[in-house]
Amino acid sequence: MEQKKHWQSFGELNQSEAFNKEVKDEFTSELPMVEDHSGFLSAKAPRRDFLKYVGFSTAAAAVAASCEMPIKKAIPFANKPEDIVPGIADYYATTYVQDGDVVSVIAKVRDGRPIKLEGNDLSPITAGGTSARVQASVLDLYDTARLRFPLIAGKEATFEAIDTAIAGELNGNIVIVTSTVNSPSTKAVVAEFLAKHPGSKHVTYDAVSFSGMLLANEASYGKRVIPSYHFDKAKAIVSLSADFLGTWLSPVEFARQYAVGKKINEKAPAMSKHIHFETVASLTGSNADEKYLCRPSEIGAIALGLLNAVKGAEVTGVDAATKKGIKAAAKALTENKGAAVVVAGSNDVNVQIIVNAINDAIGANGTTINFGAIVNYRQGIDSEFATLVDEMNAGKVNAVLFYGANPVYTWPAAEAFKSALAKVKTTISFSGKLDETATVCKYVIPDHHFLESWGDAEPVSGHISFIQPTISPLFKTRAFQDSLLKWSGNTTEYINYVKNFWSTQLGSENAWNKALQAGVINPETPSIAGASINGAAVAAATSAVAASKPSTKIELALYQKVGIGAGQGAANPWLQELPDPVTRATWDNYIIVSPAMARTLLNIDLNNGGQADAYEVQPPKKVVKLTAGKVTIELPVLIIPGTHPNTVGIAVGYGRIDSLGKSVIGTGKNAFPLANFNGQTVSFDNSNVTLTLTDQTYPVALTQTHFRYDTTQGNRTEVMKELSLASFIAHPTEIREERANEYRGQMAGGDKMTNEEVLANFEKDATIYPVYDRPGIKWGMNVDLNACNGCGACVVACNAENNVAVVGKPEVLRGHEMHWLRIDKYFSGDMDNPNVVFQPLMCQHCDNAPCENVCPVAATNHSSEGLNQMTYNRCIGTRYCANNCPFKVRRFNWADYTGADSFPNNQEGEVNDVVMNMNDDLTRMVLNPDVTVRSRGVIEKCSFCVQRLQSAKLEAKKASRPMIDSDIKVACQQSCPTNAISFGNANDKHSAITMVRAENPNRNFTVLEQLHVLPNVTYLAKVRNNGEKHEA
Amino acid sequence: MHIKYESQLREPLVYGNKDYHQVTEDIVRPIEAKPTRLWYIGFFIAVTLLMFGVYSVYREVTYGIGQWNLNKTIGWGWDITNFVWWVGIGHAGTLISAVLLLFRQGWRTGVNRAAEAMTIFAVMCAGQFPIFHMGRVWMAFFVMPYPNSRGPLWVNFNSPLLWDVFAISTYFTVSLLFWYSGLLPDFATVRDRAFTKLRKKLYGIAAFGWTGSTKHWQRHESLSLVLAGLSTPLVLSVHTIVSFDFATSVIPGWHTTIFPPYFVAGAIFSGFAMVQSLLVIVRKVFGLEDYITIGHIDLMNKVIVLTGSIVGIAYLTELFMGWYSQNKYEGYTFWYSRAYLFSPYGWSYWGMMACNVISPQIFWSRKMRRNVFVTFFMSIIVNIGMWFERFVIIVTSLYRDYLPSSWSVYYSPTIWEIGFYMGTFGLFFTCFFLFAKYFPVIAVAEIKYVLKRSGESYKPGMTKLEAETAEEFAHNHAH
Repeated sequence: MEQKKHWQSFGELNQSEAFNKEVKDEFTSELPMVEDHSGFLSAKAPRRDFLKYVGFSTAAAAVAASCEMPIKKAIPFANKPEDIVPGIADYYATTYVQDGDVVSVIAKVRDGRPIKLEGNDLSPITAGGTSARVQASVLDLYDTARLRFPLIAGKEATFEAIDTAIAGELNGNIVIVTSTVNSPSTKAVVAEFLAKHPGSKHVTYDAVSFSGMLLANEASYGKRVIPSYHFDKAKAIVSLSADFLGTWLSPVEFARQYAVGKKINEKAPAMSKHIHFETVASLTGSNADEKYLCRPSEIGAIALGLLNAVKGAEVTGVDAATKKGIKAAAKALTENKGAAVVVAGSNDVNVQIIVNAINDAIGANGTTINFGAIVNYRQGIDSEFATLVDEMNAGKVNAVLFYGANPVYTWPAAEAFKSALAKVKTTISFSGKLDETATVCKYVIPDHHFLESWGDAEPVSGHISFIQPTISPLFKTRAFQDSLLKWSGNTTEYINYVKNFWSTQLGSENAWNKALQAGVINPETPSIAGASINGAAVAAATSAVAASKPSTKIELALYQKVGIGAGQGAANPWLQELPDPVTRATWDNYIIVSPAMARTLLNIDLNNGGQADAYEVQPPKKVVKLTAGKVTIELPVLIIPGTHPNTVGIAVGYGRIDSLGKSVIGTGKNAFPLANFNGQTVSFDNSNVTLTLTDQTYPVALTQTHFRYDTTQGNRTEVMKELSLASFIAHPTEIREERANEYRGQMAGGDKMTNEEVLANFEKDATIYPVYDRPGIKWGMNVDLNACNGCGACVVACNAENNVAVVGKPEVLRGHEMHWLRIDKYFSGDMDNPNVVFQPLMCQHCDNAPCENVCPVAATNHSSEGLNQMTYNRCIGTRYCANNCPFKVRRFNWADYTGADSFPNNQEGEVNDVVMNMNDDLTRMVLNPDVTVRSRGVIEKCSFCVQRLQSAKLEAKKASRPMIDSDIKVACQQSCPTNAISFGNANDKHSAITMVRAENPNRNFTVLEQLHVLPNVTYLAKVRNNGEKHEA
Repeated sequence: MHIKYESQLREPLVYGNKDYHQVTEDIVRPIEAKPTRLWYIGFFIAVTLLMFGVYSVYREVTYGIGQWNLNKTIGWGWDITNFVWWVGIGHAGTLISAVLLLFRQGWRTGVNRAAEAMTIFAVMCAGQFPIFHMGRVWMAFFVMPYPNSRGPLWVNFNSPLLWDVFAISTYFTVSLLFWYSGLLPDFATVRDRAFTKLRKKLYGIAAFGWTGSTKHWQRHESLSLVLAGLSTPLVLSVHTIVSFDFATSVIPGWHTTIFPPYFVAGAIFSGFAMVQSLLVIVRKVFGLEDYITIGHIDLMNKVIVLTGSIVGIAYLTELFMGWYSQNKYEGYTFWYSRAYLFSPYGWSYWGMMACNVISPQIFWSRKMRRNVFVTFFMSIIVNIGMWFERFVIIVTSLYRDYLPSSWSVYYSPTIWEIGFYMGTFGLFFTCFFLFAKYFPVIAVAEIKYVLKRSGESYKPGMTKLEAETAEEFAHNHAH
């Protein structure tokens, strides 16, 4: 189209010069500003400039002040590594090994970094179970206190420099001190090294050894071995203070076996019977059906009494209460001959010989005790180590190599050992961290973390579990085996050494690859064998035990905590913050005393309401000085019912050297010096200690302070249901009736209903609101309180899976811990020797959730699948939901624990060093990318591992099939060694959760059911095989 | 037969030989004079407290609610205790101005202005707590229901906390309007007396162009009645809704149907006590004894003893129901956590009982009711008691609820929790000092309204009239 030209004047039409000038100078005159000669405008910054400057500087200041945001970069791979698909996890079978403990695991690796360990179902030993320590071990990989390079005399060095220096020093009389090594290839490497260096030897030293048992078995059976135990086959179990569910030998394995005997088939209720002789309250004792309290020094007499009793002889030398226990134990054992077992935690050879004799008498050998499968968890003999110390003092040792063993910390006479060590020219530690022994060694060659290592383990003869790396070594570390191979003149790298070793054993490289993929090799047919006992040894032991008199003084029993062990868990914040199952304390060790001793020693009577309250609500506990010989220790006191009145307990594993990391600083005191070497074995008991009350107090961070659910206003049976097997058999529907009677009054016309009608109509009739259909998926969980032993594996598994923050001791003291899942512990009955029940409690995902309707912004709401969901970025943090939660499972982010806050610099000085350390870039590598890291000011809680549910649904959808039960395992369920937790779709008639509820109608209950909050978590009541009629 | 019967009980509402000018002089004088040294000292203390509060809140916002000693079991402590306490205090003003206006209680005129001011400042203080007790206060606008780009995502209308948002903001708005509309004629008076240009301008703006025309007065009266009508249900609704925060929950000790009337009575109780505390000082400092008379104090003390006793009955009813319901959880909360003196928080329950129920009974005595010192002391005691009441309700219910495993360790506040509370005192008194300096603390216009009917000096003038019989009166005055 033709462009029309418009013009306003001839000047414009012609573009005359005059017109253009006029256009250019349209506003020729000055702007009509009032000339003011007062000086302001004529100043260098007149009004307009002034306003400009003010505006700019204000804006700049505002921008500078408000926009300081921490910048976190996520950089994608420039070249995508093979096998790594961002966002998709890889799983590798490997093995958790630590000082002889072996658990076959599957490591979940996300974007090249291992973030979670699950049990390996293919291992018949642990069958997919794990422990708290296994679950927490992944965090050790990212420990900021790990050594990042080798050291010579405390200074950074290279491997070449060390190899060169050491080459000249390794000339005979070398001693390799290790904790128990059950790796066949490592043993071969050690043997090769010893062969190359004549006069050298390998000493196995375990911090808490089983020398007594090994030597006793040698005396009784001629073999210095530990047989495997089968608690699953035992109908009667007697434990002489052996904590086999917590710390004794192979707790993951034993927990699984034990639960077999404890789970009930409601149609034919039967249970194993576990009688426990307890010195200081322990996890195993807490689970026992019957528990008798005794002194550590009485264990021998009790063993002897039990031996006599099972043989039908009279029991002498013990008091009446103990005698009753012995008779009950003997009765249970003899009634179940061939299906009974006795274990003892004592490290005394004679006691163990007598226990062997009892086991022989009750037909345990070859049935519940299997000499056909030898276990290799502990092989150290204390006296061998004591001999080594003498040799070192005598100057007979040229070099000592420490691998796993840490005697400077764990040997009772640590100072003497240190001075002996000073006489050894060459000292080498392979510790991954600067532990107590490494600190005094000349050379430190840090070993890999097991998740960076190649290797193998043989926990039980014939059962091999393989270790493969899941990440390349983070730091300049080198495998212990590589060092030995190098120093033996073998140029093979350990990776090839293992490969060759097993390719040869298994016949082909293919078989090795297959085994590595599965992670385990199991013998095709398990062998079962007994052993014949040497009567002379028994006679000698009997007379030795009969000669020793039980003490009349106050006694001390040292014990290990489930999480901390002999100190291996001390540097791990997850384990430090894991409430101890027995005491519910975190971050410290302390003296455990009985309520009876508390009355005399502390002047606190737990039966006195006011004194009990004062003790419970005030975290500072009285400090007592304990003196044993020349050793003294001052620790706070916790009163734990279920402890012998004249015995106190202290956990070992605390008071470690600061160089192990922030977690150990200020946490507890070392109790190993209180143990003593009696010339044969190390004894962890002391039969004569004195206690003096000091005028100091020390705060102990407890996560639970009150342990009884009965009050003067009534027994809160809606919280917990427990009864004895006898009354359950006599009256199976007792709990259903109790429940019906609790709700009847809440329902219209309830008084005319039968019990069954009440239970059937409770959901519908106990409310004025309509009841909705819940079609599709309805997630549900069930916890069998009979199977749960309270070990805490699930708590740490939940931490790892859901990025649950560590808050540190000062915050736990203020009730700020963040655990989504906690294990409540309750006492019932006689407070001096109570029944104990554990109750894992997580968000109950109520269908009628009290938290949901009180949130002003609907940040917590209900999904169509029955999940009570938490929307973190909607939460404004009123905490009303937490107040209104009857279960108190909601956790609030009181401070910036995670560094996820948009406020800069608000952690320094406010959160604990441990928490700061958890925010280190290295430590943060353990975070699960599928789970939001919560920021300050929001509520969080158990989500039923919704990320796993979503991914399972997605997998099923991708495969175009309905989702089934086995697609999903939530973290707590997966970690549980006893399969106490069932989870699934309660609307699916064939799911495990539906089955378990349908099959256990008489034990099923929900906590606080009368509130009509309709939880989706159900519990199976605790049944105890203690023959008592339940009195409710 | 005499035409007027004068009540023997009713005292004059204004003492002294006052005329309209004198009333204006008396009340407006403090506004026009320079503040006293005492005023400066008080104001300085108030601002200092306010600054400390600001710093405490700054810490809490920056570092987290962990600056306070709340925990996993006790999610609310001093924060919500203080909130309910301040809201309760904020009740007296509206009750005095609205309800008493509707009931034509002439005596309200002496105290309503200050009481309403106190209400507004108290509600301002109260509002700080629900706002700053949020973990993420910068997201506080989420509680506003407005169409938004987040879905739109709406608030949860089921939540009592949301009801609070509406209840408190409505109450604040209506109270503010009521107060301000009453101030208009008085501002005009101050404006008309202004001796500087600035004063004239500022008070002129504040007076909204009030001329005192009949039309203005007529509209003013109507507006007052409308606002009084609006406020009256609010007096009941605000604290009812605050009580719903607790009553609709499942926590034993909170889940109680008695809460709404009990909270309202408690609020009036504490509100009147606070009015007493302030007025006893104000009348002394500003020499307003003629306007805020002993008679006023007496009347308000009667309200205190009445509401205190209602609250007492509520406490006893709760205890009774704790037993009668045979609900072991409630039984535990009421009989152990609260009423048992030697339980960890037993002291707070008995502190509450002593302050709220037992000590106000002293006001059955007329002598005590009319004693200024006793009144002042008691008003403080009552406010302490009412603070304990809220603390008892919140903390002793939460710290030991259903699961014994979750029972809490002892809760005591941190310095920053206390600082926040102190800060609201600072805010309250800063506002009150400014109010006392710049606003007429007594409603001048309303005093004038009752002056001729109930002023002391007008009594003698009536004597002659009173002596007349009805016939004489009709004869003499029928024009």
